[in-house]
Amino acid sequence: MIRRIVVFGASFVGIGFLVLPVVAIFARVPPGRLVSQLGNGAVTDALRVSVETSAVAQALVLLVGTPTAVVLARRFPGRELLVALVELPLVLPPAVAGIGLFAAFGRFGLLHTSIPFTKLAVVFAVALVSGPLYVRAAIAAFEGVDENIVAASRTLGAGPTRTFFRVVLPLARAGLAAGAALALARGLGEFGATIMFAGSLRGVTETLPLAVYSEFNVNFDTALAISALLVALSAALLIALKWRPSLSISRFRFAASS
Amino acid sequence: MATLALDFALPLRGFELSLALDVERTVALVGPSRAGKSTEQRVAAGLARPARGSVRFDGEDWTPLPPERRSVGLVFQDYALFPHLDVRRNVAYAGEPDGLLERLRIAHLARAKPAELSGGERQRVALARALARRPKVLLLDEPLAALDAHTKAEVRHELAELLRELRLPTLLVTHDYEDAAALADEVGVLVDGGLRQLAAPSELVAQPRDGFVASFTGANLLHGEAHATGGLTQVQLGDGTCVYSTDHATGPVGVVVYPWDVSLAREHADDSALNVLRAEVTSVVEVGNRVRVRVGPLTAEVTAASAQRLGLRDGGRVYATFKATGTRLVPL
Amino acid sequence: MNVLLTIFAAASLTNVFPHIAPKEHYSFAGSNALAAQIQQGAPADVFASANTSIPFQLYDQGLVEKPVLFTRNQLVLIVPRSNPANIHSVADVAKPGVKLVVAATGVPVGDYTRTVLKNMNLGNALNNVVSNETDVREVLAKVALGEADAGFVYVTDARTVRGKVATIGIRWAAQPRVSYAVAVVSTSRHKAAARAWVKALLGKTAQAKLRAAGFLPVK
Repeated sequence: MIRRIVVFGASFVGIGFLVLPVVAIFARVPPGRLVSQLGNGAVTDALRVSVETSAVAQALVLLVGTPTAVVLARRFPGRELLVALVELPLVLPPAVAGIGLFAAFGRFGLLHTSIPFTKLAVVFAVALVSGPLYVRAAIAAFEGVDENIVAASRTLGAGPTRTFFRVVLPLARAGLAAGAALALARGLGEFGATIMFAGSLRGVTETLPLAVYSEFNVNFDTALAISALLVALSAALLIALKWRPSLSISRFRFAASS
Repeated sequence: MATLALDFALPLRGFELSLALDVERTVALVGPSRAGKSTEQRVAAGLARPARGSVRFDGEDWTPLPPERRSVGLVFQDYALFPHLDVRRNVAYAGEPDGLLERLRIAHLARAKPAELSGGERQRVALARALARRPKVLLLDEPLAALDAHTKAEVRHELAELLRELRLPTLLVTHDYEDAAALADEVGVLVDGGLRQLAAPSELVAQPRDGFVASFTGANLLHGEAHATGGLTQVQLGDGTCVYSTDHATGPVGVVVYPWDVSLAREHADDSALNVLRAEVTSVVEVGNRVRVRVGPLTAEVTAASAQRLGLRDGGRVYATFKATGTRLVPL
Repeated sequence: MNVLLTIFAAASLTNVFPHIAPKEHYSFAGSNALAAQIQQGAPADVFASANTSIPFQLYDQGLVEKPVLFTRNQLVLIVPRSNPANIHSVADVAKPGVKLVVAATGVPVGDYTRTVLKNMNLGNALNNVVSNETDVREVLAKVALGEADAGFVYVTDARTVRGKVATIGIRWAAQPRVSYAVAVVSTSRHKAAARAWVKALLGKTAQAKLRAAGFLPVK
């Protein structure tokens, strides 16, 4: 009995803690004022920048990250080290990631480019912090595909490429989609590396999270409205992910065993 | 008939898999698990590379070719059906099904997903899928292992017929000697990466090359010291009993006696059978219309009628006799 | 002082304040960011801003006691040592293609910068802005790193990275009046100590240190 109280009590506190800040955002500002703030030019500009840069970053992450995950899903000497390197941006403070981007792509960096302070810089920052999330999930998804099934496809006459598209990808689809959604949500919220490497310029590089920060100093209500918008976007992403039954993994799992 | 010629070596955990084998009709590879049987098949299919040697088919060197460029049909032990495709699409993966669904009696399952099928149905789908490729060589990995005992007998019969119809060089792998005997023209006993014997099933029984082959094919195997006496060889068993054999051997030997060569009686009748063992009946098991009886260290197989007549169910002591000509001596 | 005070101060005071009073808790950021935090109830004892309007705003809201001027400053244009965009005068920042970094409006130095540009008829230089930073030290960092071609900071900031940047003076007539004000936060738990701290800031020793760092006397 005591144990039950403790367990439920703890989860109540835990869930409450996680949910409260989110709910509080919507509680502070009446919905009417929230919506009207959304008409604010700063907000629509930030929304446009966020959507554009997140879309491009996501496409980049999928195109480059998928083959990366395919390669890293195999066993080869040095694999563990390579995987650790790829996952490194995940554990770095975003500001450090920003410095790293300067060191690599800055005007006086390793590759002298003129990328800093541009929209592309935002794409880079977003891709750098969200990419590893996708790659990690994709590796797990590819590893989860039964080796024998892949072998079966090969013995049935399908070469590695056909096997990948007809067998591996469909079976890994759920894991890949989950990873992509996670990466997208993380990218939408990216701040530290962006403000460092891309700076903040309305309509060009000021994303929604950056706009929250700058509006916080100017108009708290606008900051709240943007925060609410970000929460709504992220929640929509997560819900879309969890509620699509065709993307559930469990169906394929038990079908693969005889 | 085209021949699949396997002649290669490949290091495995603890030993090296090395054998030369020509597959012209149906060959079964049997042996204890982890002896390299499945690896043999994977090399034949192109899923593993040998360290030395080659895989050739009908003169063509398949060794450098990946699986998709070899004309093989491989049926995995757990069938490895594509879970995201229905039966029809599974079978049609490599080519047009063209009556295969009907032939293997799975046409009514065309729209079903693998998860919805029984073990026997999955096996037929896997077979149909492999055959849709019109392969020149068939590789079956433990084709009956995943089936329950009831389905097994039925499937074994069907599979034997199918193999006879197809007339393809077929290499099948199994740990069950009875399955091998039922399905194959030749059986190879693979132990620790090497072929102990390759022969027709009946020959393995009649002339096992060593103790392992003998016990694997279901014979009784006793241990003893042999020395020649007169025209026969006398073997002194561990417990002191002496048996005689028409085979020649000296030193430590394995004594092989087949269950159906052992006669049982309640009294000792004096006849030409020289080997006699007197012991307690410890178990009586019916197998079809025959009865397997454990008498001391031996297993005898008699008809149900004999078992009835002797009252074996009641236990007690019996005499187990077998002829010297039915007593094989094999190296241990 | 036995009590450790929490001092919210403009980013440009990052080096000089700890030099004046080493043993306090400091939070340095853009003055407007700090003000917003105080409005949300941040536990500060003293607030020092790089302008007077922000503290007086808080005073009108009852959040701080009456602000007092304590020092002055002036703006300067900085370029990286290597001067990649070849900037030799303030007017050069209006050249097309120059990567100009400034602080955002609302941040004191950002507003001052825009005043300077207006005074010098260089309003179109704002087209060259590639980033609106949240405090003066970020502007400084980007120029020192060499990633920006030019930036406007206080002369006191430029001195902290001597060697990494080259300065270009802005004529006095174009400079806005940069006055720093300090106030005790109304919700401070250590009002007495805070008031004493402010008083010491106006005293001879502190003022001498401010001057040594390049700040201007209150006049």
